[in-house]
Amino acid sequence: MSYLVTIEPTGEEVEVEEGQTILDAALRQGVWLPFACGHGTCATCKCQLVEGEVDIGAASPFALMDVERDEGKILACCAIPESDLVVEADVDVDEDFAGHPVEDYQATVKAIVDLSPTIKGITFSLDRDMAFQAGQYINLDIPGVEGTRAFSIANPPSRANEVELHVRQVPGGAGTRWIHEQMQVGDTLKLAGPYGQFFTRKSDVKDAIFIGGGSGLSSPQSMVLELLEEGDPRQIYLFQGARNVAELYNCELLEDLAEKHANFHYIPALNAPEDGDNWEGFTGFVHDAVKDYFDGKFEGHKAYLCGPPPMIDAAITTLMQGRLFERDIHMERFVTKADGESEQSRSALFKRI
Amino acid sequence: MAAKKLNLKDKYKLLTRDLDWEFSYEDRKEAFPYEEFEGIKITDWSKWEDPFRLTMDAYWKYQAEKEKKLYAIFDAFQQNNGHLNVSDPRYVNAVKLFLTGVSPLEYQAYQGFAHVGRQFGGVGARVACQMQSIDELRHVQTQVHAMSPYNKFFDGFHDWTHMHDRVWYLSVPKSFFDDARTGGPFEFLVAISFSFEYVLTNLLFVPFMSGAAHNGDLNTVTFGFSAQSDEARHMTLGLEVIKFLLEQHEDNVPIVQKWIDKWFWRGCRLLSLVGMMMDYMLPNKVMSWKEAWEVYFEEAGGALFKDLARYGIRMPKYADVVEKEKEHVSHQAWWTFYAYGHAAGFHTWIPTDKELDWLSEKYPETFDKYYRPRWELAKKLEAEGKRFYSQALPQLCTTCQVPMMFTDMENPGELSYRSTEYKGEKYHFCSDGCCDIFKDEPEKYVQSWLPVHQIFQGNCGGPDVPDILKDFYHFNLGADNLDMKGSPDEERWKQWKSA
Repeated sequence: MSYLVTIEPTGEEVEVEEGQTILDAALRQGVWLPFACGHGTCATCKCQLVEGEVDIGAASPFALMDVERDEGKILACCAIPESDLVVEADVDVDEDFAGHPVEDYQATVKAIVDLSPTIKGITFSLDRDMAFQAGQYINLDIPGVEGTRAFSIANPPSRANEVELHVRQVPGGAGTRWIHEQMQVGDTLKLAGPYGQFFTRKSDVKDAIFIGGGSGLSSPQSMVLELLEEGDPRQIYLFQGARNVAELYNCELLEDLAEKHANFHYIPALNAPEDGDNWEGFTGFVHDAVKDYFDGKFEGHKAYLCGPPPMIDAAITTLMQGRLFERDIHMERFVTKADGESEQSRSALFKRI
Repeated sequence: MAAKKLNLKDKYKLLTRDLDWEFSYEDRKEAFPYEEFEGIKITDWSKWEDPFRLTMDAYWKYQAEKEKKLYAIFDAFQQNNGHLNVSDPRYVNAVKLFLTGVSPLEYQAYQGFAHVGRQFGGVGARVACQMQSIDELRHVQTQVHAMSPYNKFFDGFHDWTHMHDRVWYLSVPKSFFDDARTGGPFEFLVAISFSFEYVLTNLLFVPFMSGAAHNGDLNTVTFGFSAQSDEARHMTLGLEVIKFLLEQHEDNVPIVQKWIDKWFWRGCRLLSLVGMMMDYMLPNKVMSWKEAWEVYFEEAGGALFKDLARYGIRMPKYADVVEKEKEHVSHQAWWTFYAYGHAAGFHTWIPTDKELDWLSEKYPETFDKYYRPRWELAKKLEAEGKRFYSQALPQLCTTCQVPMMFTDMENPGELSYRSTEYKGEKYHFCSDGCCDIFKDEPEKYVQSWLPVHQIFQGNCGGPDVPDILKDFYHFNLGADNLDMKGSPDEERWKQWKSA
């Protein structure tokens, strides 16, 4: 049994297990809430309960006073949901966040293509248009699999009646195995979206660096396509990391775009090219390609990262060493069901990264 | 989505940053004269992210509510003779050490934050520091009120501010804060907000408050909860300071690293007093100092420094030495106080047999090998009626002002001793950490007011030690000092309990 907790004003949703605190669930699912002590004495994580029932847990009477309890204040680090909840937290709404409502859609498989030996491209047509921001994701209901699976949208928002996903088969993963082995054109699935705080900060005119690893090309592809469609004048750099030429998918599409748009630069990097690949591009991890390209200096840029956690962590380290900091780094970590369960303890130094 | 309302961030902004003004006829640099001399480069104060958003109206409302709750407990404690509920009269000596050693630091913090709250060019930082300053004043007041009921019943509580300024071992905490407050404004924040409040504070507050809870001291534990609800703001200020400095300019990175190294080491030396309190002064134990260090520094600090590595900051220098010292410092400190028990403003004692066994169990690598034999000897001497007190005055470390009692972690049976010369004078240190700090700023530390030196120079009255203790320190000899056994505190406790 789990409960759904909606965090206002951002509208992010967190699934909280029986007996789990809101803060613990939020941090594990990549939703940042202000916190410090983590055990009910400091009140940094104080929130307003808007809807639902909670057990306020072991909150200290000095951190959560009687008058506040009467007003419906809770401490996220102690509060355990007893129903689905809506809580209002001290988090900022990004001025570029459009806040498109999350809705359920019927999605019919229109095309399945082999993008690479491990990644399939799935295109769904939706029962109606979905408004979303480039970079956001959807939750897909997969037949016979408990819970939903999150996938980033690879098409630009201009193709509103479609959802294109890049799905890598996760070893031992039930959801992605079904997609790879059983899904057929014409199947109809349920999906919900759009979700997430990963989107293009268009109001900031700084040049943009996009880094996608593996099937994490999806969001950057959507974001880049949209910027180019809109004729955005900023310099756009897309770094794509893959193992070898066979895994480097959509390469021709992107090379083609780079030829047509003087402000778009496409830099693929392979970390283990095969002998037969005749690879002449950058050899090494994608974060090293970024470092090499910019000579290790990133001030004055915005960076958008999408892919598996080790790639994201390496890229953040590279960017920070080149003096680009949290406020200018945005990311979507592709956490698998298994990764989520082995989250390491972390300090409160960073909010999102 | 609902229309965006004025959120806390915007509200806070209107009530803080908008209170700043442009300098039209004065030079901004002259208005903030301390902002540059430390070498810190600030390129854009607007990048300061408010570490907390508490507006003054809400602040007064919350604090008033907290005070009401807290003082209701204090009243109940007094009316119900709460002092009789402590686990053992030995516990009260930990409170004496806290009142004389730590509470005055809260006052120093109040002064320090009020000072830097004037000195920053950025209004966000100024407001955050001013608010912390008010918190610290509240903390010293509530601490004094929490502990004052004990003054009616136990010795050693009567002149704590005076003692803080003069007594030899209290110069350790005093000089720590004096050092921070005489640094520049950015060093003060790295020292106090980051290194102390963020990295090390759990090692002071959690053991002390849990210790109070485990030993039946309702006043102190309630004060602790009340203060902790403020501490979180202080900790988030510490984090913001460090991020802000590291992000503002790359030239700040080595300066910040140097300060982290210095204040981590100074903090560890100061915390040897806390380690001693946890392992020896609490009759009901919470956890050992070693365990506390592992939980609050090695695990929590490890995660922090892993994140800080992205800014090019490494673990504090000599963290490896401290990791070894966690097995030793509490034993060395209590032994030193036991040996100088005639010159301490609280009572000392030999651990009970059960406590000695607990120490053996918690410190399997070191206690039986290095420290238990000393206590067995002390027990034997005491049984023979020869409880000893060291008569010679100890050599103090010029930097941390702790007596030379720490041993060399390469060879834990040998005293650790370092020295250096400056302008033809020789200076003495307990460690490489303290010696490095001196060498970096010798002009500052040659001015150290070292209590033992001052005694020998005749600046503390005397000439005999008892005269100094009585007249210069304001100790009530025979009541405040000496062993717990046979003390008036112990006598009274027995009377109350047999009544």
